[in-house]
Amino acid sequence: MDLRFNGLNIRKDMPMLTRRDLLTAIGLAAASGLFLSMGNRLARAHHGWAWATDSVFEITGKITAVKLGNPHGELILDVNGESWEAEIGQPWRNERAGLTDALLAVGTEVTVSGRRAKDPAQKLVKAEIVTIAGKAYNLYPDRRS
Amino acid sequence: MLDPFLTTLEQLPLAAALRGSTWLYPLVNATHIIGISLLFGSIVPLDLRLAGFWPSIDLIALRRVLLPVAIFGVVLAAGSGVLLFLPKAADYAGSFWFLAKISLVAAGLANALLLRRSAEWQGKGEGSWPRIAGVASLLLWTGAIVAGRLVGYFD
Repeated sequence: MDLRFNGLNIRKDMPMLTRRDLLTAIGLAAASGLFLSMGNRLARAHHGWAWATDSVFEITGKITAVKLGNPHGELILDVNGESWEAEIGQPWRNERAGLTDALLAVGTEVTVSGRRAKDPAQKLVKAEIVTIAGKAYNLYPDRRS
Repeated sequence: MLDPFLTTLEQLPLAAALRGSTWLYPLVNATHIIGISLLFGSIVPLDLRLAGFWPSIDLIALRRVLLPVAIFGVVLAAGSGVLLFLPKAADYAGSFWFLAKISLVAAGLANALLLRRSAEWQGKGEGSWPRIAGVASLLLWTGAIVAGRLVGYFD
Protein backbone atom coordinates (compact mmCIF):
# COMPACT_ATOMS: atom_id res chain seq x y z
CA MET A 1 0.00 0.00 0.00
CA ASP A 2 1.28 3.40 -0.96
CA LEU A 3 1.12 5.68 2.03
CA ARG A 4 3.58 8.32 0.89
CA PHE A 5 2.64 11.88 1.54
CA ASN A 6 4.22 14.40 -0.76
CA GLY A 7 3.96 17.32 1.61
CA LEU A 8 2.03 20.51 1.54
CA ASN A 9 4.09 22.35 -1.03
CA ILE A 10 1.67 25.16 -1.63
CA ARG A 11 2.72 26.70 -4.88
CA LYS A 12 3.35 30.38 -5.21
CA ASP A 13 1.44 30.74 -8.46
CA MET A 14 -2.14 31.81 -7.90
CA PRO A 15 -4.69 29.12 -8.75
CA MET A 16 -6.82 30.02 -11.73
CA LEU A 17 -9.78 31.43 -9.91
CA THR A 18 -12.11 33.81 -11.63
CA ARG A 19 -13.55 36.86 -9.92
CA ARG A 20 -16.94 35.11 -10.04
CA ASP A 21 -15.55 32.20 -8.04
CA LEU A 22 -14.25 34.53 -5.36
CA LEU A 23 -17.52 36.46 -5.20
CA THR A 24 -19.41 33.18 -4.87
CA ALA A 25 -17.14 32.10 -2.03
CA ILE A 26 -17.52 35.43 -0.22
CA GLY A 27 -21.28 35.34 -0.70
CA LEU A 28 -21.53 31.83 0.73
CA ALA A 29 -19.35 32.74 3.70
CA ALA A 30 -21.59 35.74 4.40
CA ALA A 31 -24.72 33.59 4.08
CA SER A 32 -23.26 31.06 6.52
CA GLY A 33 -22.56 33.81 9.02
CA LEU A 34 -26.11 35.10 8.68
CA PHE A 35 -27.52 31.61 9.20
CA LEU A 36 -25.44 31.14 12.33
CA SER A 37 -26.43 34.46 13.84
CA MET A 38 -30.10 33.62 13.22
CA GLY A 39 -30.02 30.50 15.36
CA ASN A 40 -31.42 31.00 18.81
CA ARG A 41 -29.35 29.49 21.55
CA LEU A 42 -31.99 28.30 23.98
CA ALA A 43 -30.23 25.41 25.62
CA ARG A 44 -32.51 22.42 25.48
CA ALA A 45 -31.44 18.83 25.39
CA HIS A 46 -33.24 16.02 23.62
CA HIS A 47 -32.07 12.50 22.99
CA GLY A 48 -30.92 9.99 25.53
CA TRP A 49 -30.48 10.27 29.25
CA ALA A 50 -26.98 11.67 29.62
CA TRP A 51 -28.21 15.26 30.02
CA ALA A 52 -30.54 14.40 32.89
CA THR A 53 -29.88 13.78 36.57
CA ASP A 54 -29.99 10.30 38.06
CA SER A 55 -32.53 11.12 40.75
CA VAL A 56 -36.27 11.05 40.23
CA PHE A 57 -37.98 14.41 39.95
CA GLU A 58 -41.69 15.19 39.99
CA ILE A 59 -43.76 18.20 39.00
CA THR A 60 -47.46 18.84 38.61
CA GLY A 61 -48.93 21.43 36.30
CA LYS A 62 -51.49 22.26 33.65
CA ILE A 63 -50.75 21.58 30.00
CA THR A 64 -50.45 24.86 28.07
CA ALA A 65 -49.09 23.47 24.80
CA VAL A 66 -48.63 20.05 23.24
CA LYS A 67 -46.35 18.95 20.43
CA LEU A 68 -46.63 15.25 19.75
CA GLY A 69 -44.88 12.97 17.31
CA ASN A 70 -41.43 11.97 16.09
CA PRO A 71 -38.71 12.26 17.16
CA HIS A 72 -40.47 12.67 20.54
CA GLY A 73 -43.38 14.49 22.10
CA GLU A 74 -43.21 17.66 24.18
CA LEU A 75 -45.59 19.04 26.79
CA ILE A 76 -45.36 22.62 28.03
CA LEU A 77 -46.69 22.83 31.58
CA ASP A 78 -47.69 25.74 33.77
CA VAL A 79 -46.29 24.83 37.18
CA ASN A 80 -47.30 27.52 39.68
CA GLY A 81 -46.81 30.20 37.07
CA GLU A 82 -43.52 28.79 35.79
CA SER A 83 -43.28 27.29 32.34
CA TRP A 84 -41.78 23.79 32.28
CA GLU A 85 -41.15 21.47 29.39
CA ALA A 86 -41.71 17.74 29.75
CA GLU A 87 -40.39 15.41 27.09
CA ILE A 88 -42.58 12.38 26.51
CA GLY A 89 -42.18 9.48 24.11
CA GLN A 90 -42.40 9.01 20.38
CA PRO A 91 -45.83 7.76 19.18
CA TRP A 92 -45.27 4.04 19.79
CA ARG A 93 -43.94 4.58 23.30
CA ASN A 94 -46.88 6.77 24.34
CA GLU A 95 -49.30 4.32 22.75
CA ARG A 96 -47.72 1.36 24.56
CA ALA A 97 -48.15 3.21 27.85
CA GLY A 98 -51.80 3.93 27.03
CA LEU A 99 -51.08 7.64 26.85
CA THR A 100 -53.33 8.65 23.97
CA ASP A 101 -53.21 12.04 22.28
CA ALA A 102 -56.73 12.78 23.55
CA LEU A 103 -55.54 12.52 27.17
CA LEU A 104 -53.00 15.26 26.58
CA ALA A 105 -55.40 18.12 25.87
CA VAL A 106 -54.43 21.68 26.76
CA GLY A 107 -55.71 22.51 30.24
CA THR A 108 -55.30 18.98 31.59
CA GLU A 109 -53.53 18.67 34.93
CA VAL A 110 -50.67 16.22 34.77
CA THR A 111 -47.99 14.99 37.12
CA VAL A 112 -44.73 14.19 35.44
CA SER A 113 -42.24 11.95 37.18
CA GLY A 114 -38.87 11.57 35.55
CA ARG A 115 -35.37 12.99 35.26
CA ARG A 116 -34.66 16.66 35.36
CA ALA A 117 -31.99 18.29 33.19
CA LYS A 118 -28.67 18.54 35.04
CA ASP A 119 -28.47 22.23 34.21
CA PRO A 120 -30.67 23.89 36.87
CA ALA A 121 -31.32 26.82 34.51
CA GLN A 122 -33.27 24.48 32.25
CA LYS A 123 -36.85 23.89 33.29
CA LEU A 124 -36.94 20.59 31.50
CA VAL A 125 -37.76 17.06 32.56
CA LYS A 126 -37.65 13.77 30.68
CA ALA A 127 -40.85 12.03 31.64
CA GLU A 128 -40.81 8.42 32.78
CA ILE A 129 -44.28 8.23 34.29
CA VAL A 130 -47.12 10.62 33.42
CA THR A 131 -50.05 10.65 35.82
CA ILE A 132 -53.42 12.02 34.72
CA ALA A 133 -56.54 11.91 36.93
CA GLY A 134 -54.89 9.42 39.28
CA LYS A 135 -53.89 6.99 36.55
CA ALA A 136 -50.17 6.44 35.92
CA TYR A 137 -48.90 5.92 32.39
CA ASN A 138 -45.42 4.40 32.46
CA LEU A 139 -43.37 5.24 29.36
CA TYR A 140 -40.43 3.08 30.44
CA PRO A 141 -41.94 -0.03 32.06
CA ASP A 142 -38.72 -2.00 31.48
CA ARG A 143 -36.38 0.62 32.87
CA ARG A 144 -35.26 0.23 36.45
CA SER A 145 -35.16 3.51 38.31
CA MET B 1 -40.90 36.00 8.55
CA LEU B 2 -40.39 32.32 7.85
CA ASP B 3 -42.81 31.15 10.51
CA PRO B 4 -46.00 30.85 8.39
CA PHE B 5 -44.05 28.89 5.78
CA LEU B 6 -42.59 26.53 8.41
CA THR B 7 -46.01 26.01 9.97
CA THR B 8 -47.40 25.19 6.53
CA LEU B 9 -44.65 22.60 6.08
CA GLU B 10 -45.47 21.02 9.44
CA GLN B 11 -49.12 20.76 8.43
CA LEU B 12 -48.46 18.87 5.19
CA PRO B 13 -50.06 15.40 5.21
CA LEU B 14 -46.59 13.95 4.63
CA ALA B 15 -45.26 15.75 7.71
CA ALA B 16 -48.18 14.47 9.80
CA ALA B 17 -47.63 10.93 8.53
CA LEU B 18 -43.95 11.05 9.47
CA ARG B 19 -44.74 12.56 12.85
CA GLY B 20 -47.18 9.84 13.79
CA SER B 21 -45.36 6.91 12.25
CA THR B 22 -43.89 3.96 14.08
CA TRP B 23 -41.58 2.63 11.36
CA LEU B 24 -41.43 5.26 8.61
CA TYR B 25 -39.57 7.90 10.61
CA PRO B 26 -36.79 5.60 11.91
CA LEU B 27 -36.39 4.08 8.44
CA VAL B 28 -36.03 7.54 6.90
CA ASN B 29 -33.51 8.21 9.66
CA ALA B 30 -31.57 5.09 8.61
CA THR B 31 -31.67 6.25 4.97
CA HIS B 32 -30.18 9.56 6.07
CA ILE B 33 -27.30 7.73 7.72
CA ILE B 34 -26.73 5.56 4.65
CA GLY B 35 -26.57 8.71 2.51
CA ILE B 36 -24.08 10.34 4.88
CA SER B 37 -21.99 7.15 4.98
CA LEU B 38 -21.78 6.98 1.20
CA LEU B 39 -20.88 10.66 0.92
CA PHE B 40 -18.33 10.72 3.72
CA GLY B 41 -16.86 7.32 2.93
CA SER B 42 -16.18 8.30 -0.66
CA ILE B 43 -15.19 11.93 -0.17
CA VAL B 44 -12.54 11.27 2.52
CA PRO B 45 -10.27 9.11 0.30
CA LEU B 46 -10.72 11.60 -2.53
CA ASP B 47 -9.94 14.55 -0.26
CA LEU B 48 -6.87 12.80 1.12
CA ARG B 49 -5.65 12.12 -2.42
CA LEU B 50 -6.19 15.79 -3.27
CA ALA B 51 -4.40 16.81 -0.07
CA GLY B 52 -1.32 14.88 -1.13
CA PHE B 53 -1.68 11.30 0.05
CA TRP B 54 -1.14 8.42 -2.42
CA PRO B 55 0.40 10.55 -5.19
CA SER B 56 0.94 7.45 -7.33
CA ILE B 57 -2.79 6.71 -7.52
CA ASP B 58 -4.33 8.11 -10.69
CA LEU B 59 -6.66 10.92 -9.67
CA ILE B 60 -8.86 10.67 -12.75
CA ALA B 61 -9.55 6.97 -12.12
CA LEU B 62 -10.18 7.60 -8.42
CA ARG B 63 -12.57 10.42 -9.25
CA ARG B 64 -14.52 8.28 -11.67
CA VAL B 65 -15.26 5.77 -8.92
CA LEU B 66 -15.73 7.97 -5.88
CA LEU B 67 -17.51 11.01 -7.31
CA PRO B 68 -20.71 9.22 -8.42
CA VAL B 69 -20.89 7.46 -5.06
CA ALA B 70 -20.47 10.78 -3.24
CA ILE B 71 -23.14 12.46 -5.37
CA PHE B 72 -25.55 9.56 -4.80
CA GLY B 73 -24.87 9.86 -1.07
CA VAL B 74 -25.57 13.61 -1.08
CA VAL B 75 -28.86 13.10 -2.93
CA LEU B 76 -29.94 10.33 -0.55
CA ALA B 77 -28.98 12.33 2.54
CA ALA B 78 -30.65 15.51 1.29
CA GLY B 79 -33.86 13.75 0.30
CA SER B 80 -34.21 11.89 3.59
CA GLY B 81 -33.07 15.03 5.42
CA VAL B 82 -36.04 16.99 4.08
CA LEU B 83 -38.35 14.23 5.34
CA LEU B 84 -36.76 14.34 8.80
CA PHE B 85 -37.07 18.13 8.84
CA LEU B 86 -40.79 18.36 7.95
CA PRO B 87 -42.44 16.95 11.13
CA LYS B 88 -40.92 19.68 13.32
CA ALA B 89 -39.79 22.23 10.75
CA ALA B 90 -40.13 25.27 13.02
CA ASP B 91 -38.14 23.63 15.83
CA TYR B 92 -35.28 22.70 13.53
CA ALA B 93 -35.27 26.08 11.80
CA GLY B 94 -34.82 27.66 15.23
CA SER B 95 -32.01 25.35 16.25
CA PHE B 96 -28.52 26.84 16.25
CA TRP B 97 -26.88 23.50 15.46
CA PHE B 98 -29.28 22.76 12.65
CA LEU B 99 -28.50 26.09 11.02
CA ALA B 100 -24.78 25.52 11.59
CA LYS B 101 -25.09 22.12 9.95
CA ILE B 102 -26.98 23.46 6.93
CA SER B 103 -24.40 26.24 6.55
CA LEU B 104 -21.57 23.70 6.62
CA VAL B 105 -23.35 21.48 4.10
CA ALA B 106 -23.83 24.52 1.82
CA ALA B 107 -20.17 25.44 2.20
CA GLY B 108 -19.11 21.82 1.51
CA LEU B 109 -21.21 21.72 -1.65
CA ALA B 110 -19.93 25.14 -2.75
CA ASN B 111 -16.35 23.99 -2.15
CA ALA B 112 -16.94 20.92 -4.30
CA LEU B 113 -18.61 22.88 -7.09
CA LEU B 114 -15.87 25.54 -7.10
CA LEU B 115 -13.23 22.82 -7.27
CA ARG B 116 -14.98 21.19 -10.21
CA ARG B 117 -14.93 24.50 -12.04
CA SER B 118 -11.27 25.14 -11.35
CA ALA B 119 -8.74 24.92 -14.18
CA GLU B 120 -6.71 22.34 -12.27
CA TRP B 121 -9.65 19.95 -11.95
CA GLN B 122 -10.32 20.30 -15.66
CA GLY B 123 -6.70 19.48 -16.37
CA LYS B 124 -5.89 22.93 -17.75
CA GLY B 125 -3.36 24.05 -15.21
CA GLU B 126 -1.47 23.26 -12.05
CA GLY B 127 -1.93 25.02 -8.77
CA SER B 128 -2.61 24.50 -5.11
CA TRP B 129 -6.39 24.91 -5.39
CA PRO B 130 -7.25 21.17 -5.34
CA ARG B 131 -5.05 20.62 -2.30
CA ILE B 132 -6.69 23.46 -0.37
CA ALA B 133 -10.15 22.34 -1.50
CA GLY B 134 -9.40 18.77 -0.36
CA VAL B 135 -8.43 19.88 3.13
CA ALA B 136 -11.41 22.27 3.27
CA SER B 137 -13.72 19.46 2.20
CA LEU B 138 -12.47 17.19 5.01
CA LEU B 139 -13.07 19.91 7.59
CA LEU B 140 -16.46 21.04 6.23
CA TRP B 141 -18.02 17.57 5.95
CA THR B 142 -16.67 16.50 9.34
CA GLY B 143 -18.09 19.69 10.82
CA ALA B 144 -21.44 19.14 9.12
CA ILE B 145 -21.75 15.65 10.62
CA VAL B 146 -20.76 16.81 14.11
CA ALA B 147 -23.13 19.79 14.02
CA GLY B 148 -25.89 17.57 12.61
CA ARG B 149 -25.53 15.10 15.45
CA LEU B 150 -25.63 17.87 18.04
CA VAL B 151 -29.07 18.91 16.73
CA GLY B 152 -30.50 15.92 18.58
CA TYR B 153 -28.95 16.91 21.88
CA PHE B 154 -29.01 20.71 22.06
CA ASP B 155 -31.05 23.47 20.52
